[in-house]
Amino acid sequence: MTTMEQLNVIFKTVFDDDDIMITPEMTANDVDGWDSLSHINLITTVEARFSIRFSQKELLTQKNVGDLIRDIESKLAAGN
Amino acid sequence: MNLVKNDQYNIGHICTRQQCDQGRGNKTAFRWVSARQERIDYSFSDLDHESSRFANVLQALGFAPGEILFTFLPRTPEQFFCFLGALKLQVVCGTLFSNFGDDALLDRLGDAGAKGLVTRKSLLKKIMRIWGQLTSLKYIIVTDIDEHQSANILSYSALMNQATDDYVAPLTNPQTPSVLHYTSGSTGKPKGVLHCHRSILHQNRTAREVLDLDDSDIFWCTADQGWVTGTSYGIIGPWSLGVTQIQYGGSYDAKLWFDLLQDEAVTVWYSAPTALRMLMQEAPELYKGCNLKALRHIFSVGEPLNPEVITWARNVLGKDIYDTWFQTETGGIIITNRPALVVRPGSMGMPLDGIEVAILADDGQPLGDNQQGNLCLKSGCPSMFTTYLNNESAYSSKFRGDWYYTGDTAMRDKDGYYWFKGRSDDVINTAGHLISPFEVESALLEIDEVAESGVIGAPDELIYEKVIAFIQLHKQYVWSKELEIKIRLHVSNRASSIATPQEIIIVDGIPKNKSGKIMRRVLKAYYLGQDAGDLSTLD
Repeated sequence: MTTMEQLNVIFKTVFDDDDIMITPEMTANDVDGWDSLSHINLITTVEARFSIRFSQKELLTQKNVGDLIRDIESKLAAGN
Repeated sequence: MNLVKNDQYNIGHICTRQQCDQGRGNKTAFRWVSARQERIDYSFSDLDHESSRFANVLQALGFAPGEILFTFLPRTPEQFFCFLGALKLQVVCGTLFSNFGDDALLDRLGDAGAKGLVTRKSLLKKIMRIWGQLTSLKYIIVTDIDEHQSANILSYSALMNQATDDYVAPLTNPQTPSVLHYTSGSTGKPKGVLHCHRSILHQNRTAREVLDLDDSDIFWCTADQGWVTGTSYGIIGPWSLGVTQIQYGGSYDAKLWFDLLQDEAVTVWYSAPTALRMLMQEAPELYKGCNLKALRHIFSVGEPLNPEVITWARNVLGKDIYDTWFQTETGGIIITNRPALVVRPGSMGMPLDGIEVAILADDGQPLGDNQQGNLCLKSGCPSMFTTYLNNESAYSSKFRGDWYYTGDTAMRDKDGYYWFKGRSDDVINTAGHLISPFEVESALLEIDEVAESGVIGAPDELIYEKVIAFIQLHKQYVWSKELEIKIRLHVSNRASSIATPQEIIIVDGIPKNKSGKIMRRVLKAYYLGQDAGDLSTLD
């Protein structure tokens, strides 16, 4: 599975919605229920599933799903 | 000008048709700003026609006065049309926070015996999972499908296209049931707080006297319509005065919020302490160039407003923030800071004229100045709830004689200012939302690995109180990151995202008294590193 496909599975689980199809342009405004608290659930799950850890700066600069994928892939490439 | 004309107390009528009759038909009732910044203006005439159309939709479906409709929507214009349309028909309208999970929805829709629900496609699946247990729920109206899916799953737009916008609300007496909000207690299921149409008298009065709104204002209330502030002051109070509102469909975004205040020339702003504390944490560059000249007043509600935020607002925004206090049960502002009153930072302010407030001991005796006790209100305010739906005993238990016990503790100083001290029960106030520890504990016990659980609220600098879960696992399970995620997501999806524990603490056992009641005060003392006090009743 690609990173995007793996992330899509996480989105479906976190937001309890089997119909979610993520795109790089997608933001919190596009997903019902994506609030600050469910965002913590999303990040916690992403970190656990990919065995990575985001810095505060990375979290603050992630504006959409594409940014999240970019940070996941750069961490996986760096072996973190 | 009299609010009630010809004995017509109908909230839906007063907020729409009456405004048109008073010459405001072409005036903007609300500017809808979507999460993507698209803007659409709706006039009072639009609001009247769309809500009337929806009243006709409900009537054609066989809804009768007194039956119950819920909205389960994120912030969308349909929320307002449905809410006011239902009230026009004297159908009781309940509103549900759009992040509620299955359990929270089942408790509320089931208890109310709701006949209909308005929702969106993305939220429909939650309802489908529990519909089998909701024997009264006949119709689900979906706002973003074009065609009916079945005889019971209906398209909002198709229904609205078939209905006329000509509807005259029946003469509605002040005691007619109107709005239903569910509120959490420390034990048992959430309780349905039922209001009646006369509440508009107090919501109108406080919008005028406290929020200082008049015809020329542009008002922005950031509260979600799933909670009482969102209906009392995001709909009823301002529109009963013919005030233009900004309705924003997105979530918190500091830059965007300041842009909205500036670009929409908001004159009165009503928000929550958590949001204000979040803004306070932003870099000053964010709001330095922001022109807030139009902004006359800022108000807050939901949790105590700490003095630091007031100081920040004075220094940075050049404004006071007036903290207001009320509850779902009171339906409108009761104790408040306001422009005509000197603000004592950290205080709740003073009661409104004509509303009797007292600090009473547990035995009902009045307490003097500077003594902490139960915050109580004398019966008589028009916006007070009329009952807890299907739970008259719980309603009665809140009153002793003429006094309503709010469940909050407070003290009054010698000058008559009130100071919030805390809750007299275990209810958790997270960012202005009341969370029942019982509901979270119930959700936790649904997880196979969890043997026992105890949930408390602990102080938090940003959100006032955070949810802390103590969990005892069954012996065969071990704690892991995966289990933490499972627990977080389960609570989020069964109860709501706001109920998700911020911290999970694994323990060997949950302290209970001899009758099996969870001793949350012992857990709280343990968490805060304090003395747990008398443990003689511990099992």
